[in-house]
Amino acid sequence: MLTTLILKELKSVLLSPKFPVTFAVASILTLLSVFVGIREYQAESNQYFAANELVRQEMREARNWMMLGNRIYREPDPMHIFVSGVHNDIGRVSSISSWQPVKLVNSAYSDDPIFALFRFIDFSFIAQVVLTLLAILFTYDAINGERESGTLQLMLSNAVPRAQIIMAKFVGSWLGLVIPLSLPVVLSIVLLFVFGVPMNAEHWIRLALLMVASALLFTFFVAFGILVSTLTRRSNMSFLICLVGWIAAVLIIPRFGIMVAGQMVTVPTVSEIESQQDTFAKNAWDSHMKVMSEKWRKRSESLEGLNEKDRKTKREEMEWAWAEEDRNDRNKLQNEIDENAKRLTEDLRNKKFTQERLAFALSRFSPVSAYQLASMTLAWTDINLKTRYEDKLNAFRTTFNQYKDQKQRESGATGGIRISVDSKTGIKIDTGREIALDLAGLPQYTYSRPDLGESVAPVIVDFGLMALYSLLAFAASFVMFLRYDVRYAN
Amino acid sequence: MLKLIIEKELREIIGSTRFAITFGACSLLLLLSFYVGAKNFQISVEQYDASKREDLRKLEGVTDWNMVRDLRIFLPPQPITSLVMGVSNDIGRTVEVRGSGELNGIESRYGDDPIYAVFRFLDLDFIFQIILSLFAILFAYDAVNGEKERGTLRLTLANAVPRSSYILGKMAGSFLALAVPLLIPMLLGVLILVIMGIPMEGEDWLRLGLVVLAGYLYFTVFLSLGMLVSSRTEKSSTSFLYLLVFWILSVMIVPRTAVLLAGRAVDVPSVDQLASEKSRYSASLWQDQRKRMSEFRAPENTPPPKMMEEFQKFMSSLGEEREKKMSEFSARLNEKRSNMQREQEMLAFSLARVSPSAVFSLVSTTIAGTGIHLKDLYKTEAERYQQSYAEFIRGKTGQNPGGGMVFRFTTGDDEKKELINPHEIPVFNFQKEPLSASFGPISIDFGILVLFSLLFFVGAFRSFLRYDVR
Repeated sequence: MLTTLILKELKSVLLSPKFPVTFAVASILTLLSVFVGIREYQAESNQYFAANELVRQEMREARNWMMLGNRIYREPDPMHIFVSGVHNDIGRVSSISSWQPVKLVNSAYSDDPIFALFRFIDFSFIAQVVLTLLAILFTYDAINGERESGTLQLMLSNAVPRAQIIMAKFVGSWLGLVIPLSLPVVLSIVLLFVFGVPMNAEHWIRLALLMVASALLFTFFVAFGILVSTLTRRSNMSFLICLVGWIAAVLIIPRFGIMVAGQMVTVPTVSEIESQQDTFAKNAWDSHMKVMSEKWRKRSESLEGLNEKDRKTKREEMEWAWAEEDRNDRNKLQNEIDENAKRLTEDLRNKKFTQERLAFALSRFSPVSAYQLASMTLAWTDINLKTRYEDKLNAFRTTFNQYKDQKQRESGATGGIRISVDSKTGIKIDTGREIALDLAGLPQYTYSRPDLGESVAPVIVDFGLMALYSLLAFAASFVMFLRYDVRYAN
Repeated sequence: MLKLIIEKELREIIGSTRFAITFGACSLLLLLSFYVGAKNFQISVEQYDASKREDLRKLEGVTDWNMVRDLRIFLPPQPITSLVMGVSNDIGRTVEVRGSGELNGIESRYGDDPIYAVFRFLDLDFIFQIILSLFAILFAYDAVNGEKERGTLRLTLANAVPRSSYILGKMAGSFLALAVPLLIPMLLGVLILVIMGIPMEGEDWLRLGLVVLAGYLYFTVFLSLGMLVSSRTEKSSTSFLYLLVFWILSVMIVPRTAVLLAGRAVDVPSVDQLASEKSRYSASLWQDQRKRMSEFRAPENTPPPKMMEEFQKFMSSLGEEREKKMSEFSARLNEKRSNMQREQEMLAFSLARVSPSAVFSLVSTTIAGTGIHLKDLYKTEAERYQQSYAEFIRGKTGQNPGGGMVFRFTTGDDEKKELINPHEIPVFNFQKEPLSASFGPISIDFGILVLFSLLFFVGAFRSFLRYDVR
């Protein structure tokens, strides 16, 4: 019996006049989003390689270890085709040098605000907006539509249990929509092959999980449509309610959750924190300068009273030790400054973390948010992308600078400019020798992304939530249908 | 007769449950967007003030203007910007001003707080674009064919009602029934702004008024489109479907696709490429000067202060020269890129304007001053400020700032302990482009919206005259 009902439902979906139009739109959009994504990815990859080549060239042209700087670009990834997430919002590049802290700048959107105005279309956007609308369009009149046309009464006059009818409604419309929709998805995957997008095994697993997430989101909206149609008598009313629900779930709750959190937990801006760091550094250097001048006064005092020759020998003798001492002092100071900066950044991050937790907890009331968060985590474009990169870059900066210092010392050339002032000989500037740098052994930056296990753990919550919401909606519609007044009369 | 039809239409719409639900939802969202915008503005102002304060705090305890190296300026939040955000959250808000050299905005809001980038903000532009159009569609999709389905169309036309006044009455009636009630939440929204003490100036109100006006034009486009589709189809369910497809295309697909297409068609050199060329040029300049630096010799037996002065002069002349060459080089590169960008933008926006939603979005961001030109404007303003800053520092120290190195004699006794007053530094005043400057593009977009409405309405009118009412 159930099979017959499901088959009937399938037919009614596939043969309905709205099916060809909506299916065509959904397919074209899905394919378009993947196609555009692939082209973007390819353009970005080319840019990435070109930029890296330029950096290498600059480094080869450098003639002084001290001045050697590096730039690290964020690497594009095939998963961005499907979920761009915050990828275009955060900086793409950070310079790595001893005189600048790590900072990702030049986001794609700030470089070319034209793309920011309307943003990109990616698969996750299509799934959130178009596919959910499609689900509603086919289910809003599942029950009350049949009542209006009188078929529900006819059906139930036979020996058909109500439980089976509602089950069949759900399963039938789900299959009737998901099976056709998998066609554009399969075609998108073909596109990936055609364009030779380098996907590895993990990418495929992640993509599969993304599709599962999309199916779960879709399931929720199918169940939601059926629920609303069992709650109302008329199909035009149920459509209206569905649409309001859709707007709330897709457009309002996600944004609202984050805004509420943003107002409850206030986080200082990055530039405020940076100014604090600068102030600390400035004060530290100021007091350091005082200590230094005191030291030098003592040192010259110790030389006083000696004759010219002794003074010279003593000075030469002590010079190295003094320089070493000064260097240690400077390093100690720099460490203190770095520590302070780190502490402040840590502080900021903790505040942000609290804000994020609250924001996501609130916005997860909508299954669409759960989907968005899950899909971003799966595609490595979640909001932790920035901190992940910055941590890795900071670690790399330390290695890079160590390498540079070591090379500098080995080469024996002074770094930068040395200016000596003597009241007799005047000012002398020594800018060091120019050397061709031997870049062998230059530390290479490798960014390791969180592996599948790390990504799956946070995603489970979102998958669970979507499943739970679907289940609740379906259970409610089940209960409501059992007592639905099927009479044709208004 | 026309009056009667309008009256009937008014009653029918306002009395319907559908009106109660959708109007409630619309009002709620409109109020929400006003509230969120106002709140957002307050938070942005707090953050802006804190950033400025912290930046000046750096200069506390400094006794010498020579030690003032750089200053940060920030894009000030504006009330209207919080209501129509445009790209204001995407571009860098902070600029480090050194007194010379190229300026670059960093730390965009979305880059700093990616959490907001995930779902973006809820602003008037967004609400108008999505909600007003849906609202119009929901009431117009069955304007003609719905009456046919119910049989009332035949009845009406059996009387001596000219078809032309009927469709005119329909259009006017639904516009009045929907547009006038919408004024209530808008006025309440204005009230929210006033109560929350948002400092809106005369021109801000004008801008807000124009955005609302654009919103109404946009609403009319969708209303007349609904009429058109409904008078060209037999069934209301079909007309709704078509309208929904059009809505998805107009709001979400066409604008994005147009921009992406233009991005493919016009190849703008990447920022990385420019940065790399600049940094190589700068390195080569530095190499040239190193040699000259080592050749510097002060005449013998010059007293140290005099010698220091000479040296200072020498270094700053080198710095100036470097700076000049560099800025010429950068300007040339930047100009090339911005020309390409402009070309790309022209193409993208011409394509996107096929969609009324894109037209609305473009015109509302232009009115609010948050279109993509905000970035260039901010840069120009920052450059202007940099000049006054440089002049100020020159006045204090007698030297060009950012010239490279500063040497001081510290005698150790620190006889000069006078603190500088950081508040003497000129304040960055962001001059928004006056509304009159963008009057041209705004009127073009208004014209396009009017044209869309007229076209659709004339189409609806013609179709209805031959509509098969049976």
